[in-house]
Amino acid sequence: MAEMSPARPAYRVDSSPSTAMPDDGSIVVGPDAAIDGSAVVHVGAIGPVEPSGRRAVEVVVDGWRFELHVEDEGRAALRDRATRDRDAAVKPGESLEIRAIIPGRVASVAVAVGDTVETGQTLLAVEAMKMQNELRAPRAGTVLRVPAAAGATVELGDVLVVLE
Amino acid sequence: MRKDSGNDARPFARVLIANRGEIALRIIRTCRDLDIDTVAVYSDADVDAAHVRAADAAVRLGPAPAGESYLRGEAIIAAALSTGAEAIHPGYGFLSERAAFAGAVTEAGLVFVGPPARAIEALGDKLAARRTAIAADVPVVPGTFEPAPVDRPDMVDDILSAAEKIGFPLMVKAAAGGGGRGMRRVEEARSLPTALVAASAEAHAAFGDGSVYLEREVRPARHIEVQLLGDATGDVIALGERDCSVQRRHQKLVEETPAPGLTDDERRELHAMAVRAARAAGLSNASTAEFLFDPDRRFWFLEVNARLQVEHGVTELVTDIDLVAEQLWVAAGRPLSDPVRRAADAAATPTRHAIEIRLSAEDPSRDFAPVPGRIDEWVMPAGPGVRVDTAARPGDRVPPDYDPMIAKVMTVAQDRPSAIRRMRRALDEVVVTGIQTTLPFDRALVRDRAFLRDDGSALSTDWVAERWDGPGARSNVRRSAAIAAARASEGASRRSSSLRKDTRSRSAWAASGRESAIDRWPR
Repeated sequence: MAEMSPARPAYRVDSSPSTAMPDDGSIVVGPDAAIDGSAVVHVGAIGPVEPSGRRAVEVVVDGWRFELHVEDEGRAALRDRATRDRDAAVKPGESLEIRAIIPGRVASVAVAVGDTVETGQTLLAVEAMKMQNELRAPRAGTVLRVPAAAGATVELGDVLVVLE
Repeated sequence: MRKDSGNDARPFARVLIANRGEIALRIIRTCRDLDIDTVAVYSDADVDAAHVRAADAAVRLGPAPAGESYLRGEAIIAAALSTGAEAIHPGYGFLSERAAFAGAVTEAGLVFVGPPARAIEALGDKLAARRTAIAADVPVVPGTFEPAPVDRPDMVDDILSAAEKIGFPLMVKAAAGGGGRGMRRVEEARSLPTALVAASAEAHAAFGDGSVYLEREVRPARHIEVQLLGDATGDVIALGERDCSVQRRHQKLVEETPAPGLTDDERRELHAMAVRAARAAGLSNASTAEFLFDPDRRFWFLEVNARLQVEHGVTELVTDIDLVAEQLWVAAGRPLSDPVRRAADAAATPTRHAIEIRLSAEDPSRDFAPVPGRIDEWVMPAGPGVRVDTAARPGDRVPPDYDPMIAKVMTVAQDRPSAIRRMRRALDEVVVTGIQTTLPFDRALVRDRAFLRDDGSALSTDWVAERWDGPGARSNVRRSAAIAAARASEGASRRSSSLRKDTRSRSAWAASGRESAIDRWPR
């Protein structure tokens, strides 16, 4: 049986330009991530959730001050995918993997292998925390594979549909 | 009224403090202890500063840049005269070592709390100080004793042969120098002429005096200085030494007393040399003689600072002497007090250890670049054996116009390991948000195995360059910071419904975040 609605979602944390160093990459904080037990941690100012979905948080760890942007990893991945897929859409001919942007259960699958789909057509829906998230085709193409089946539990990043 | 004239219980009725920040506040505190009225001066950047609020009266000097405010000697003297101050305490920096200012204060009929103008002048010239020291039988770093003939191409051979005698690498230094300006390290003879010209031009730009001289590079070396106090009769005593070896670009980052690993005999020898140099220079009031200590355990005289030092507090912690109070008494004409003499007698056999770290608004991952800004939260340590000298408060702006040091955290204990443990605890209590500080560096230093070696063998002016990796230390904690931020954001979201109607959004958000935050000390 699949365990539904994970207690804690994952977050993606980025440095704000004000305190970022050149090689500061994004950090994904999973549900079980733990802070180094010897660190002295202080949380400073916490901003509101911005329209973009991000929230600014000031943290000082062992004296190092960070201004960080926290957002839901699922949402961040979705945005990334939208950006990447928009790029991918310009070069057809390569297959395109559509991956789970949130962990959850596949609620329904709307396409089968061999179907041709239009841009924006619903491919499947993933349910997490009682929310249905519909995945739409980022570009037109033929469905090459559908590794996801209705009712299956999927993890973040699992391949759900592959378009030709 | 407090101002009954002829009160023998206080040195002055009213003193003007010609400084700002933590040192102005620290001097005002002693004045209050002695029942002395205080007059603060301030620039437009400091209208609401702590030292202005703490003083009995305050006089505006001008716009933020120091040249238009804290360095305006005539305006400061006018402020003292108009407010009825009898004496001016210059603190450190700014006008504290300007002989012309000290002289003008005296000419205006006021008392300058510091060495006499002629002694400041004599010691401000490093070459004159070197000659004075050697005449007093104090070993000086081998080098030249007259200005190098920078403008005389025909004398290049002379200076080159002097350099060969000293040996390479050597240092070119400005006679009027300080803070590393007008200083060049020269590795070989053919670079010398260029270095001389460059250092001279820099010295001229910085000090208005392009005189430079040569000095052997003593390296590795520890930087050890002696606290001196003298009265108007010419009596001078030493109140122990301080090790200030941990530096970066000739700026001290941490200071401690006593200097680790010295024998009592070495201490006596060092203190005696410092006293000899001070007497020969005609010093009175508070000053500090600086020495280098080489791996062969020899001391080399560097220079004398004719003022109260930033790091005077550690000496106060181990001697129980209030140096500012003694400065005021001596300036008022009293001989050195009995407690001071007793402290001097005990200085070679110290029974306590004190350490100070300087907390600055600088980024230790970006080569200690100054990062002025507004302080949000500000919590300083307290408890047994902890002293914090600061003028910063929550909401204060750290102005870009002055020194970035915002606090001095000091601890004292019966021995060095205990003082360092106490410092670790004290630094764990520090909370500063809104700006980056040197706290990560300070925390790392008091945990560094080499620094903890009690014979002082690992202390050297090269410590920072050799052992500090700022970007690496920072990246080690990035993941913990990200997790803490994620959890704090999560906590804020849980509370968001109850906070949505709150109009004080920022502080409310901050408060809610703090409730859920993972504020804790290491166990």
